[in-house]
Amino acid sequence: MMKKFINDPSNLTQELLEGLALANKDIVELVRGNLIVNKKLKDADRVTVVTLGGTGHEPALQGFVGEGMADVAACGDIFAAPGPESCFEALKLADKGKGIVFIVLNHAGDMLTANLTMKAAKKEGINVIKVVTQEDITTAPRDDANNRRGFVGCIPAFKIAGGAAAQGKSLEEVAAITQKFVDNMGAISVSLTGATHPVTGGDLAVLDENEMGVGMGQHGEGGGYKIPMKTADETVALLMGELVKDLSIKSGEKLMCVVNGCGATTLMELLISYRAAVKYLEARGIEVVANIVNELLTVQETGGYQLFIARMDDELLSYWSEPCDTPYFKRLPTMK
Amino acid sequence: MVLMKRDFLNMLIGASDALDEKIDEFSEIDSKFGDGDHGVTIGRISKVIRAKAENSSDDETLSEMFETLGRDIMNVNGGSAGPLYGSIFEGFGEGLAGMNKADEAAIKSMFAGALDNISLISNAKVGEKTLMDTLIPACEKAKSSSSPLPQLLEDITDAALQGAEYSKQCQAKFGRARFHKEATIGTMDAGAYSLYCLISGFSSAINK
Repeated sequence: MMKKFINDPSNLTQELLEGLALANKDIVELVRGNLIVNKKLKDADRVTVVTLGGTGHEPALQGFVGEGMADVAACGDIFAAPGPESCFEALKLADKGKGIVFIVLNHAGDMLTANLTMKAAKKEGINVIKVVTQEDITTAPRDDANNRRGFVGCIPAFKIAGGAAAQGKSLEEVAAITQKFVDNMGAISVSLTGATHPVTGGDLAVLDENEMGVGMGQHGEGGGYKIPMKTADETVALLMGELVKDLSIKSGEKLMCVVNGCGATTLMELLISYRAAVKYLEARGIEVVANIVNELLTVQETGGYQLFIARMDDELLSYWSEPCDTPYFKRLPTMK
Repeated sequence: MVLMKRDFLNMLIGASDALDEKIDEFSEIDSKFGDGDHGVTIGRISKVIRAKAENSSDDETLSEMFETLGRDIMNVNGGSAGPLYGSIFEGFGEGLAGMNKADEAAIKSMFAGALDNISLISNAKVGEKTLMDTLIPACEKAKSSSSPLPQLLEDITDAALQGAEYSKQCQAKFGRARFHKEATIGTMDAGAYSLYCLISGFSSAINK
């Protein structure tokens, strides 16, 4: 079993959420045991953003709660969706009268819980619109999106939704903007080394010394295929080629590009890969106008990354450029 | 034979015992095509079931007992198993509405209620390697068997076992396992197995 700095595994989630709240006292608070809440939510007079998901992907998802991104994250156990009751409480907390966008990743547990939550919310008359992220391109074609998993794309989606909300857009507008953004994004993962489940100690994935896994999931659920190790540039060319094809990106378009480290890949490797991504796109007349190169949604100590792109335009860029303040993603207001 | 509230409390204990015995096995199966935590989640569900058996007040009806237990299960924060098992138990409660004891007809209604309720959140059919491989045959047997209680519960358990065995040869169409496609053939579905164990626990509590 991989050596990890944990205590009793049955307290893992609680301790990690307490740690997050303690480390970011001005930004978030832990409510009801498993809700990470934007401390400024109480004064919000705008559309709010709620999400749910298992822990174990730190900093995602709850590390992105704060002004300008998610307002409440309902947190489950490691890789396991929370129950519908806590998600319903999250919606009630986030209900400030202007509506809620509920961003849900497409994974079986998350969707089951989200749908039960939506049922309860409708019954209570809560004004909420659900937006599902399902941008992993490897498991199914674009027109079979219900079999596509939600990867790192939810993080930029929080930012887009949060930015539109900050600009005072209505619920229908924020939901439509977020939906348009998530309908035009794609992600693909590549893995070099597997990781272990912090509670059970089991292997999430096992890869040979000289192979890479393309398209593996973020909880050990596999998928995709294995091929011999390639260089950084070759890997990016393979992955970006698939993404550009899947989204039919044409020369002249502008993209957001994210290189999301999965936990054990060095920033050095992520930066080298990002360079390759920008060059690959530039050579095809495609400009990268927004990016993040970092660990956003990890898979414990998995070696590898998720490569993500999304179509951008001036409107989306304006939401992207809005200030935000969350534990693991901050943007300063631009000097005027 | 007619089952009273006391018998149902024993069934819950029986189910919890049956699940506790196999916690490690559930995680082991789940580790093949998932993240190996089905045992952890089932452990939590088992605790919640046992707590209900120990704390259900005398004036809590059968229906209220199962429905509140279903809600507790739904909120164990364990991914898919919570909503799915929670729906099954809520459904048991709906099937036993208005009854303070259960004869064969009531058991048939109990299982029908479970299937109806879970169908609201899942459209999985037999052959897709889910716990429906166990639940659907179990409910069909509940409906068709003319055995009296307590044998009826044994019949249901046999059908559940056959269903769980059948799940071995199916390719996963739901949940995380589906991304492993044909590789999933040959391994029993963890949820199908745990649900069979739960049902067998009901039966062994009554068929001592």
